[in-house]
Amino acid sequence: MAMSGVDLPPVRPQTSLQRPGFLRRLMADYGQELIVLLAIVVLFVAVTAVNPRFISANNLTSIFSGNAYIAVAAIGMAMVIITGNIDVSIGALIGVLATISGTLAVAGYPIWVAWFFPVLVGMAINGLIGILVAYFRIPSIVVTLGALSILRGGLISVTGGTWISDLPPAFLIAQQKWLGLPVPLVAMIVLTVLAALWMRYSAFGRSLYAVGGNPEAAVATGIPIERRIVAVFILNGFFAGLATILFATQLQVIQSTVPPNLELTIIMAAVIGGVSILGGSGTVIGSTLAAILFATIGSALIFVNVSAYWLRAVIGLLILATVLADMLRRRRTV
Amino acid sequence: MHKIVLSALLALSFSTSLSHAQSAWTGGDDLPTNPLACDATPATAEAKPYDGGQPTNPPDRKGKTLTVVDVPKLVGIGYFNATSKGIADAAKEMGTMNAKTDGPSKANIDDQITLIDNYITSGVDGILFAANDPVAISPVLKKALAAGINVVGYDANSEPDARQWFVNQAEFNGIAKAMVDSMASEIGEEGSFAIVTSTFTTPNQARWISEMAAYQAKCHPKMKWLETVEAQEDNILSFNQSNTLINKYGDELKGIFGMTSVATPAAADAVTQAKKCGSVAVVGLATPNAMKPYVSAGCVKSVVLWNPVDLGYAAAYVLRAAADGTLAPGATSVKAGKLGDLSVINGSEILLGAPFVFTKDNINDFDF
Amino acid sequence: MTLRSFIRHETFLAILLVLALFVLSWQSDRFFTVANLLNQGRLMTETGLIAIAMTFVIATGGIDLSVGSILGLTAILTGVFWKNLGVPLPAAAVAAIAVGTFAGYVNGLIITRFRVPALIATLATLALYRGLAEGVSQARSVRGYPDWFYVLGQGEVLGVPTQLWILLIAAVVAAVILAYTRWGRTTYAIGSNEVAARFSGLSVEGTKLALYTMSGFAAAVAAVIFVSRVSTTRSDMGSGIELDAITAVVLGGTSIFGGRGTVLGTVLGLCLIQALKNGLSLAGVKGDGTIMLIGIVLILAVLASAIFERSGTR
Repeated sequence: MAMSGVDLPPVRPQTSLQRPGFLRRLMADYGQELIVLLAIVVLFVAVTAVNPRFISANNLTSIFSGNAYIAVAAIGMAMVIITGNIDVSIGALIGVLATISGTLAVAGYPIWVAWFFPVLVGMAINGLIGILVAYFRIPSIVVTLGALSILRGGLISVTGGTWISDLPPAFLIAQQKWLGLPVPLVAMIVLTVLAALWMRYSAFGRSLYAVGGNPEAAVATGIPIERRIVAVFILNGFFAGLATILFATQLQVIQSTVPPNLELTIIMAAVIGGVSILGGSGTVIGSTLAAILFATIGSALIFVNVSAYWLRAVIGLLILATVLADMLRRRRTV
Repeated sequence: MHKIVLSALLALSFSTSLSHAQSAWTGGDDLPTNPLACDATPATAEAKPYDGGQPTNPPDRKGKTLTVVDVPKLVGIGYFNATSKGIADAAKEMGTMNAKTDGPSKANIDDQITLIDNYITSGVDGILFAANDPVAISPVLKKALAAGINVVGYDANSEPDARQWFVNQAEFNGIAKAMVDSMASEIGEEGSFAIVTSTFTTPNQARWISEMAAYQAKCHPKMKWLETVEAQEDNILSFNQSNTLINKYGDELKGIFGMTSVATPAAADAVTQAKKCGSVAVVGLATPNAMKPYVSAGCVKSVVLWNPVDLGYAAAYVLRAAADGTLAPGATSVKAGKLGDLSVINGSEILLGAPFVFTKDNINDFDF
Repeated sequence: MTLRSFIRHETFLAILLVLALFVLSWQSDRFFTVANLLNQGRLMTETGLIAIAMTFVIATGGIDLSVGSILGLTAILTGVFWKNLGVPLPAAAVAAIAVGTFAGYVNGLIITRFRVPALIATLATLALYRGLAEGVSQARSVRGYPDWFYVLGQGEVLGVPTQLWILLIAAVVAAVILAYTRWGRTTYAIGSNEVAARFSGLSVEGTKLALYTMSGFAAAVAAVIFVSRVSTTRSDMGSGIELDAITAVVLGGTSIFGGRGTVLGTVLGLCLIQALKNGLSLAGVKGDGTIMLIGIVLILAVLASAIFERSGTR
């Protein structure tokens, strides 16, 4: 977690003097993403060989759209981590926003209000977190640990855990299709591509890498670090809000509690996807791929009949293997 | 180097796990099972002497207003909201009980123990509990008894001598029979089914699964169990796991058992969204409010559950009777307000009744 | 003594703790009794042991998220070694602690040899160790320990809960190590500037490896105490305890960026959290209200100390 230290992974070379081939350059720029992608492909091939139903359209739909909300939330998380911060309150936030969304929908507000008002709430809460982190210099893990307690405790004391049912059918957008594709899948792809392009090509996006990777240099080049950090938390709230829309509309009932361990899954997706936890590198494509990898692992282990008791150990081992593979790759590229 | 280390760790763990006995189905426990008869013959209950504990030198609480705390497994799920409502209803009806519910926000044994410990210190007259772990909760309950507090359990038991009475919603083998019989009538005697449970460490669910395995082997021997998956108390995970089961087994899968009030509606939603209503049956334990959309749509035919509001209500009355001394060791029944007389079984348990089956016709009469 | 050195985070925290004790005992006359306070000590021992080791880890700028899973794994192994493999209970407990310590050592290896950032490494082993615990246990509990074993978690020595002695000794030893030994100075040096520490010839890798191993050891000892306190083993034991421990450490003034922090601060933070949990409950506040309040206190305490510190440097 140190802001300084030699453990900083090497900055990816953007250009090289030796005019490397396309593959080499791709490997250098998107190495971790490619490893994750490779892992997904290998899993698909191996499991399909055991049970061809694994690549049936239905199963692909379940894998991709059932977990799209994790990928969408991980986009915001990736941006936060790129600036050298972290948000452990995101799971609780999504629980709170889903409850607000469902309550509004049942209370008869227009559907779009029920969808997008929680997004604003998420942005406001995260804006506050960002201000505490940026201007009051409280480490983000402290602020978000506190926010986690406040949101989780607050949700239970307000709702008492009553479930929300009788949701209007039009509200359930995650169950609908768009051009024959499930809405969550489309949302995941569109948001990931837009965010990736924006991170790579906009001045704002590029400045985030500087904020995380080399704050002194960022200050020297005139980047307003504090404003960037607040902005990135607001963005995180925005993506958490969008993730909530997918999360809350997936079933006909909303469980108004904090989803267990959701923050760990989202952080892990952002991290495994190649966003170094030290900040300053990584892409949002990687985090989305990692979210897909988790979903694939979860489904695959059921398909290949891994003893349910050993399921989590195998998941842990696969994650560790991915991390170590990345570290070995980084060493080789230096 | 680390790979050797890791594989050594794994090998060590695998080798130790081999020494375990296995239940017939994944997710069951090792305790002996006692399947009911296949027809409606009631079980012959053998009389058992009282095996509960007693508070040490309790003050005379007869007729006095009691301060009672209810500590469920966790707060924030429909099921325990319902038991808590039942307790509040009973307290209001009696007029001599101040009851409040306070539980952990996750089904965590340590948080629950800490909470109970705090309430012992604060000097309540009575504790109602639903244990996250039967053994882990026992030391702190014994401490409560030693402090002269009346202790009554409901929903999930502790060790018998750590509480005075336990209000049993329905016997494990009774639930198992209701579940398996409902499934058999929906998918036939040769159908295959899978189970979605919370975690394998949840005692009630593990017990039901074991009893279901025993009853199915005895009375529906040709039905086929496919597998059991874990889904925590998380509805989206339950939904995803059910989907995976549907996709994996295709037409082979005829039914899904939901073992928790979270898993059952999520499994029903998965079946609905996969357009498998009618070809994949969902039978499970669930609260009616969460199941209404699926039952009214005809996708789920029967939901097995006792009435949790009644369960809480009965627990409050049992606590009152224990504090008043009207329910003493050796009693064979207890008066529980509008529920009438409830009988004592297994030494120190009070039976709420047979499990209740909600269907399209009656589900709208319930609101919890 | 200048004003600036006086308004240290620990002093501020101690004042806050006294204030909290005062207000809480005014709210309920059952709060400030010897019996209740000793009992609270019993309840906070496991988190306390882990938090003390975590103070060192965080002071180097690292973190260990896998402690809860190590706790679960050690708890399960204690039971399995004893019941299923027939090892005598003391030997089983020692062997299980050895495995837990080894799990911490593996964390250290991944972090130092493979240069994996601590957060990622321990996030991955959090999943792995919990998974091993589940796999080994096959979701079964081991119960029925002999009576002498419960002395550790439920008994008393000289009128004080047994495990509280362990916590006290651990706190004193750790405080001395961190404040007065070469090891402690190396810990701070790594946290403030790892490159400089390495160039000064300090054993950065060796120290880190030792600290993560120690963190695993603390979690493993906490596991045996926990098993003795609740008299059973379950594979989900200790889940979430890492966040409680980190909260105590950070509330205690240890900088998450490393280089700063004391064991005294951590112990004060721990006591404040436990006092709030217990006192608020006695005052009639429900669990969810307490969780919220602890979150607010965490943010405000760190905020206040940040403001004090900045005004002090001006």
